[in-house]
Amino acid sequence: MGSLRARSMDPEDSGGFNLPAGRRKRPGWNGIVNRDPDRRVVLAAGLRLPQARAGGVFAAEDAAHLGAAAARELLARAGVDPASVDETIAGCVGPPHDQANVGRVIALRAGVPRHVPAHTVNRNCASGLEAVTTAATRIAAGEGELFLCVGVEVMSAYPLVYNRAATKFFARMMRAKTLGQRLGVLASFRPPMFFAPRVALTEGLTDPVSGLIMGSTAEVLAREFGVTREEADAYALASHRRARAARESGRLAREIVPHVPPGAKPGARAVEHDDGIRDDQTIEALAKLRPYFEKPDGVVTVGNSCGLTDSATALLVTTAGRARALGLAPLAALRSFAWAGCDPARMGLGPVFATAKALAAAGVAMADIGAIELNEAFAVQVLACQKAFASDSFARAHLGREKALGELHPGRLNPNGGAIALGHPVGATAARLLLTAAHELAAGDHALALATLCIGGGQGGAAVLERMAR
Amino acid sequence: MIDLAGIPLPADAPPPGTCWRIERPAPELVRLHLDPPHRPKLAVFDVPVLRDLDLALAALAADPALRGLVIAGREPLSFAGGADIETIARFAEKEHAEKFVREGQALFERLHRLGREGGGRLCTVAAVGGAVPGGACEIALACDRLVLADDPKTRIGLPEVLLGIFPAWGGSQRLPRRIGVPAALDSILAGKLHPAKRALRLGLADRLAKPAYLWRVAEEIARGGIACPRRERRGWRLWLVDRNPLAGAAIAHLARRGVMKETKGQYPAPLAVLPLVVRAPRMRLATGLAAELAAVGPLAASDVSKSLVNLFLLSEAAKKLGVGPDGEKAPRIARAAVIGAGVMGGGIASLLAEKGVEARLHDLEPAALDAAVHAHRREIERKRKRRRIERPEADAALDRLEVTRAPVGFARCELVLEAVAERLEVKRAVLGRLATLARPDAILATNTSSLAVDAIAASLPRPERVVGMHFFNPVRRMPLVEIVRGTATDPGVIARVARLAVDLGKTPVVVKDVPGFLVNRLLGPYLDEALRLVEMGADPAAIDRALVDFGMPMGPCELVDEVGLDIAAHAGASLAAAYGGRMAATGFLGPLLAAGHLGKKSGAGIYLWKPGPAGRPANGGVNPALPSRRGPFTLTMVEVLDRLVLAMGNEAARCLEDAVVAGPRELDLATVFGTGFAPFRGGLLRHADAVGLAEIVERLERLHAAPDVAGSERAERFAPAASLVERARAGRSFHG
Repeated sequence: MGSLRARSMDPEDSGGFNLPAGRRKRPGWNGIVNRDPDRRVVLAAGLRLPQARAGGVFAAEDAAHLGAAAARELLARAGVDPASVDETIAGCVGPPHDQANVGRVIALRAGVPRHVPAHTVNRNCASGLEAVTTAATRIAAGEGELFLCVGVEVMSAYPLVYNRAATKFFARMMRAKTLGQRLGVLASFRPPMFFAPRVALTEGLTDPVSGLIMGSTAEVLAREFGVTREEADAYALASHRRARAARESGRLAREIVPHVPPGAKPGARAVEHDDGIRDDQTIEALAKLRPYFEKPDGVVTVGNSCGLTDSATALLVTTAGRARALGLAPLAALRSFAWAGCDPARMGLGPVFATAKALAAAGVAMADIGAIELNEAFAVQVLACQKAFASDSFARAHLGREKALGELHPGRLNPNGGAIALGHPVGATAARLLLTAAHELAAGDHALALATLCIGGGQGGAAVLERMAR
Repeated sequence: MIDLAGIPLPADAPPPGTCWRIERPAPELVRLHLDPPHRPKLAVFDVPVLRDLDLALAALAADPALRGLVIAGREPLSFAGGADIETIARFAEKEHAEKFVREGQALFERLHRLGREGGGRLCTVAAVGGAVPGGACEIALACDRLVLADDPKTRIGLPEVLLGIFPAWGGSQRLPRRIGVPAALDSILAGKLHPAKRALRLGLADRLAKPAYLWRVAEEIARGGIACPRRERRGWRLWLVDRNPLAGAAIAHLARRGVMKETKGQYPAPLAVLPLVVRAPRMRLATGLAAELAAVGPLAASDVSKSLVNLFLLSEAAKKLGVGPDGEKAPRIARAAVIGAGVMGGGIASLLAEKGVEARLHDLEPAALDAAVHAHRREIERKRKRRRIERPEADAALDRLEVTRAPVGFARCELVLEAVAERLEVKRAVLGRLATLARPDAILATNTSSLAVDAIAASLPRPERVVGMHFFNPVRRMPLVEIVRGTATDPGVIARVARLAVDLGKTPVVVKDVPGFLVNRLLGPYLDEALRLVEMGADPAAIDRALVDFGMPMGPCELVDEVGLDIAAHAGASLAAAYGGRMAATGFLGPLLAAGHLGKKSGAGIYLWKPGPAGRPANGGVNPALPSRRGPFTLTMVEVLDRLVLAMGNEAARCLEDAVVAGPRELDLATVFGTGFAPFRGGLLRHADAVGLAEIVERLERLHAAPDVAGSERAERFAPAASLVERARAGRSFHG
């Protein structure tokens, strides 16, 4: 594979990744990939459902149904016999409590036969990418060749949970045998037990190690990188405008299949578009919003953050040879990928660390990348990444390289808008980034594209996609 | 000993003593397995089985060591299909049928007396599962305890009224005693079969056990090892409801009213069994059994029962169409494409998805697809709400319907069914395109009602895989599917689509590729004749009433409104074009049609349709916009009936001449399931036989000469068909 040759010729690369010299080694799977072009890992086909604001049109969905809808349609369109799938891998951050291994439920509901195994992966916001990289690693290891990968999240369905006092109350009630015991337990009842539930959504978006909710980690970056409110709002507005243009040009429709959600009123039409795009968004309206996480001087508002969203993306991951045998023209080849850890309180910088590794593994530079999908968790966080990518000093301090990683060219960054407009269904997003980036290869006539995102808990993930010769 | 002497045995009857297998797991316990060697698939209670049960019971009664008796089937989930319907249908002598019923009842009563509940010394336990209908349920009711296999396949009940008789081997007496009068009436009058859990809740079963444990549990109960108290839930209700004459009278009154509403009094069986059930808890069992026997005799001999039994046998035979020549079922279709998401296409796709077939529905119009999805959801959620299906099943049914506006994703489809506009070039183009997208061996089916299958097949590669699959509207309610065999159609293809129809819960009938196929060809003259009567000044409501009284589910005028005036006119025109004069269609409704009055769907047709309760349109009287009619109308209702029914009957004779269906039996089945022709009359040709063919010919000739018919364009429809005249002259009937 090209990446190996390029690596050995690049002397700058040798000090990378903050690894002690003795433990320096090649990033995992690229090393074991067969050099045979037929064995390259490809995204053979993919599609996604529209992304809908949580509590909105997909509010009555459950993750298995939404994921299965995307997976079923993908299998139908690809014309792949579901029995020939080696495994279904679903990325999902918050599977419903009654579908702990939601990947298995998705597979069965999508019509994949029972003998095909399935599992669920979780790397927070990058779960959808984790599903694909797991598949890639398995292919490289010779453990299967055809994987159905799904990223799915129904944030509408995140529950309210009884607090500890209420849980204990129920447990004691169940243990009480006699009437006296029951009365005793009943007497211990206090209303706050039931009026102060734990909100799974809020708690899930809070990093337990740093104690910061995601928005606050973005505020840290705003302070450290000097990102202003005006910059953040302007970026958010641009995201909506680009998304609107991409919707109107039909660019987004190419990756979306319409979906009629359960609970829709008879006569309601299928949802065809991401419904977070605000056509009438203005800089004035954004400026009016109050900071959400740090009042009164914070920078992050709901207007310049991603929306909580429900959606699913499905990708068929296989080898170039198998795709050809199946009669499929792959969307892209997976040139390289990388995971990197970073400070949980500055998790928004994850893309910088991960991209550095992924580019090195691919043997290419930022300047070679035609299109970049960098997840817009927060406008502040994207802008901070932009500065870090272009900073020599950041590179020296954190990436072990003399020169900056390279500019995130505004014209190449999220050309179809990002999560601020389209929404961020956490488990699905990373798969969506891959899908959008893969489509962008042809749409923008690029040779390479990058999909990268920050991950709650202090990680970054990145993948370099390559256009396949037709 | 019971006396079965004189009753003819079936030709394949095994030697005495072989139909019940006696197992003795312990000295004090016997398991009696129903295992007749001449019925290797499904056991039924026929003469040899009763004979051998008699022998077995006699031996067991004489065994002093015996304490417990378990009655079981060949397998835990296979017991018996009830009394042998074919035996009953074949008895030539009336006394034989009566004797069969009488001796069966006496035999079960002997079993009852062996048990403790009947004063005997054995503990008798029925351990049954799978389908336990009719006589199979009645023998179980005669045991002390009923243990039922806890399995989705289990269905138990007394469906005899559906065959024009009622449970007379003690069922009408023992069921109300066991589960109370209201529940028993509900069960018996509707002929309901209950799943295991409901049977337990009703008290029909005393205990459930997984099939693997069924026999062991029953043995333990028979030995007294496991306590199994009778599920007596009646308590105070026994005195307040079941044994209270006042309550009984009220229940009987209400039930009777319900039955009359449902059957219009055309079916005597529910009315005959009703008082027996209501009085059962207040009578001594022996008296009740005698009353039961006395009441069932005339029913069993009645034409209604014979017709219904015959229909049942015909529909069972129709299911065999899905069986290949090797005796195996044709391969199942697991994935199908439906093209056209209109009411028909959407309905078919929804039904496929519900019945386990992945259905990919394609239409260029997104609104139609969305509407189809909504309709599917509504249907499945309705079933879910009524507890007809469980949540996971409902979810899977919802998942199996795929919709697509892009013509992609058909690669794995084994069947492509088109339900697009009734235009030859459109259908050809659609199937031609799909033939390249679906599997190369995919069956190409058309739901056409007015085009020739051969014409559609002509332009397609490999026409041997093209077949007509004509569903009727509304898809879910209409039980018939016409499977149209083109000249090139492969027999294997016919078997596969027939199997699919059976899987969908439909009754298939194979018809020849003639215009209108069978059902529409028969309905053509029938509906046209009705419209002409209206044109002559008859009141549409009066015509409809006459036909409903005759036994049709709805009158012809309402049917035209239901189908849609536009569709009816189109069908009429294409029949007229194909068959000429005798199918000539009146243009009487032209003005209504032009004014946009299309029937129920537009709110007005021959009648006015107002939105009624539950979203169903209600009849709001005759549409004042109906074109002015010639009057006064002088025909009697008998003449009205004759015109409609004989026009249809005469065409049926012609269909037989043209070999449109395999024979008169299939034609009868199609008329009942396709046109709703009075089931108690057993079908159109059976009705003609009952009237007498000579009489039919005479009446047809009279109609042919009627002043308004003679010389008219349509007169030929009343000219007796050649085969009819010939049969009448030879004194033969259709079924003779």
